[in-house]
Amino acid sequence: MMYHQMPIPPRSEHLWRYTPWHRIHPSKPDVIPSADGIVFKTQDNVSLIETSSTEPTSSEIARTFLHECKGSSYNLSLDNIAEPIHINARCSGHVSVGTLNVEVKGSAVLFIHLTGEPEWAGIRITGTVHPNSQLFYGFINELDSNAKFLRCEDWNLQRDASMENATLSLGGFRCKTDIRTSLNGTGASLRQAITVNADGAQHDDEHVEIHHHHGHTYSDLVMNSACGGSSHFIGTGLLTIAEGANKTDASQVFRNLLLSEKARAEAIPELEVLADDVSAAHGAASAPVDSEQMHYLMSRGLNPVDAQNMIVSGFLNDAFSNLTNAALIKEMRTRLTVHLECELKR
Amino acid sequence: MVEDSQEIIGDYQYGFHDPENSTIRFDKGLTEQVVRDISELKNEPEWMTDIRVKAYRHFVERVMPDWGNCSLLNMIDFENVTYFLRSSDKTEKSWDDVPDDIKNTFDRLGIPEAEQKWLGGVTAQYESEAVYHSIREDLEEQGVIFLDMDSGLKQYPEIVKKYFGTVVPHSDNKFSALNTAVWSGGSFLYIPKGVSVEMPVQAYFRINAKNMGQFERTLIIADEGSTVHYVEGCTAPNYSTDSLHSAVVELIAMKGAKIRYSTVQNWSSNVYNLVTKRAVAYQDAVVEWVDGNIGSKLTMKYPSVLLKGEGAHAEVISVAYAGEGQHQDTGAKVHHLASNTTSNILSKSISKGGGRSSYRGLLQVTPKSSGCRSKVVCDALILDEDSRSDTYPTMEIGNSSSDLEHEASVSKVSSDQLFYLMTRGFSEEEAMGLIVNGFFEPFTRELPMEYAVELNKLLELEMEGSIG
Repeated sequence: MMYHQMPIPPRSEHLWRYTPWHRIHPSKPDVIPSADGIVFKTQDNVSLIETSSTEPTSSEIARTFLHECKGSSYNLSLDNIAEPIHINARCSGHVSVGTLNVEVKGSAVLFIHLTGEPEWAGIRITGTVHPNSQLFYGFINELDSNAKFLRCEDWNLQRDASMENATLSLGGFRCKTDIRTSLNGTGASLRQAITVNADGAQHDDEHVEIHHHHGHTYSDLVMNSACGGSSHFIGTGLLTIAEGANKTDASQVFRNLLLSEKARAEAIPELEVLADDVSAAHGAASAPVDSEQMHYLMSRGLNPVDAQNMIVSGFLNDAFSNLTNAALIKEMRTRLTVHLECELKR
Repeated sequence: MVEDSQEIIGDYQYGFHDPENSTIRFDKGLTEQVVRDISELKNEPEWMTDIRVKAYRHFVERVMPDWGNCSLLNMIDFENVTYFLRSSDKTEKSWDDVPDDIKNTFDRLGIPEAEQKWLGGVTAQYESEAVYHSIREDLEEQGVIFLDMDSGLKQYPEIVKKYFGTVVPHSDNKFSALNTAVWSGGSFLYIPKGVSVEMPVQAYFRINAKNMGQFERTLIIADEGSTVHYVEGCTAPNYSTDSLHSAVVELIAMKGAKIRYSTVQNWSSNVYNLVTKRAVAYQDAVVEWVDGNIGSKLTMKYPSVLLKGEGAHAEVISVAYAGEGQHQDTGAKVHHLASNTTSNILSKSISKGGGRSSYRGLLQVTPKSSGCRSKVVCDALILDEDSRSDTYPTMEIGNSSSDLEHEASVSKVSSDQLFYLMTRGFSEEEAMGLIVNGFFEPFTRELPMEYAVELNKLLELEMEGSIG
């Protein structure tokens, strides 16, 4: 179905409840703007190829919209590459759109750094992790603080494939992320971590879907957000376990730390379980900075601002504790630390 | 809906029915004239007729919910429902005056016996209206008003007018509009300042006729510093055609008051149970919903509390059992609208034989409400591979000083626990029954003893044949 034929999704769908489509669209929902392509660049030895074809359309409105915007399109094949791969995705102009399709065989570590000063940026990433392969993937959003940003990702994990997917969301004025992972083979495994540090009037809406289609699969999602100023964070999750997907082990944790009176946070971790022999759990918590932790640090000589920054840093870094790849953890933590230090100097 | 010639009783012990001896029965279907006729028949004041008509118009305009089990919801044929059926000309104060066939039904359900032993008051509703009503004299002397809702409107119109629809307005949802348009029966309970009603008061709702719609309306007002425990139970015969139960319950707990509202819902598996229950709690008030859902075809019920006064507290304990062909879509909603308010939600569900249980909850803290605390725990057991369990929780936090947590888990019965019990000589079925009763124990221990015993028996019956 074409974008113009699609109904605007109602707010009763939790995906669109807090950031309805018209709020993330670059202008008016009936317009498909002409887009500049996001420029993807990486090291010379990596096979990143610009193509004319983009991913086929989807039945979901945001993905169809990105498809029809016709920005840039790239294919990336990773076949057992030892060194971490860094891709710089540079956005500019009024509307900037890019599509990336990733194929992973063997083992690879991939980072995508999103930067630039567009008014609106949209990125669609699709990928397949082939049987017995591993992908350790970090996405760092450092867009300009005035940009609107839409990100849609679809990952297909095949038999005995494993993926670690980490997100650091720091930039953008209004962000909507929709990451969907299907565990399509026995033994597939996913560890996912999302860290959001929102400030000012930032609005960050992170939606994660994890679908266990086969048994003996594993997933673990941790989403930590720290919200200051009058920022608003929304974390929504949908975890499904299909009929017959027995021996699935899945867990999700959503934690929000509210740092100012006007900050807001929503958590909606949904669970749909159609198999009986599974272990599925989710948790969500929201709280201010713990006064006992503050007291402890201040009694060691830290002033209140430093004490709070240390607690926030520890809290956000903790989201990456469920990952196992040292290079991935180190890169994400370094980027976070640099960001927090810059924030501190402001 | 399926053919209505065949009747099924099966294992459901309350699935019997009596021959229908109605004194007034409306034709099936709903029009504005039906709404006006119900009001006229009850000789209601004009303002109530106006509310009904307004609600009817809203019901017609409002679309069906586009969430939840839409395929089951869309099977409801509103034109095939009887919206009013009177079985007895008046509400009696003595069981001896209740028509024999109806009295026999309530005897079989054990209501008169329970009343003598442990209840402060009883309302028994059969089809659209209450057929029996009584309250202990000492409570009456203390100023407690316990009436069926129709009598409440007649005798205390000013109180009803002041509070009716203030907690659940007719425009809240399609089914609250339907209830407001055609409501009949239900309870009206007022507890004066400082009065503590120590024995629970009970309402029992029974549908007997085929394709019946029961739309009771309950309004409970606990004045400052008072306490009350209200218990309701419900059953219906098993027919192969569907019945509709769409109630509205409004609770108002004034400063320092405490209301506990316990429900054991055991409708037969042909009943759509679409209920709106909501409470308002003012300063230091406590509202507790203790909600058990065992029966019905589709239940959609999310008891809610609006914590409007500082220091108010809400407690929701709910259990759901979803067997073959059942969908228990239940949950709880708590709105922290004032500072230093607290809430606890505990939800437990079991799905078996292809049944589906869903927890749907909302926890909201508004920006001006500081120092709020809340904890939500959802546990689900899935007993076989054909069943399903969903959790749809929502947390909306607008104040940084609030502390909220939610946790949920879905699993099957632990083989270690089964093994342990079986090594002590229990059969696998008995062991499973014990584990399930233990799983529901946080709910049953909050019920009056007689209800808890009954509930355990019901669960044992439902669990029969669950192994192998």
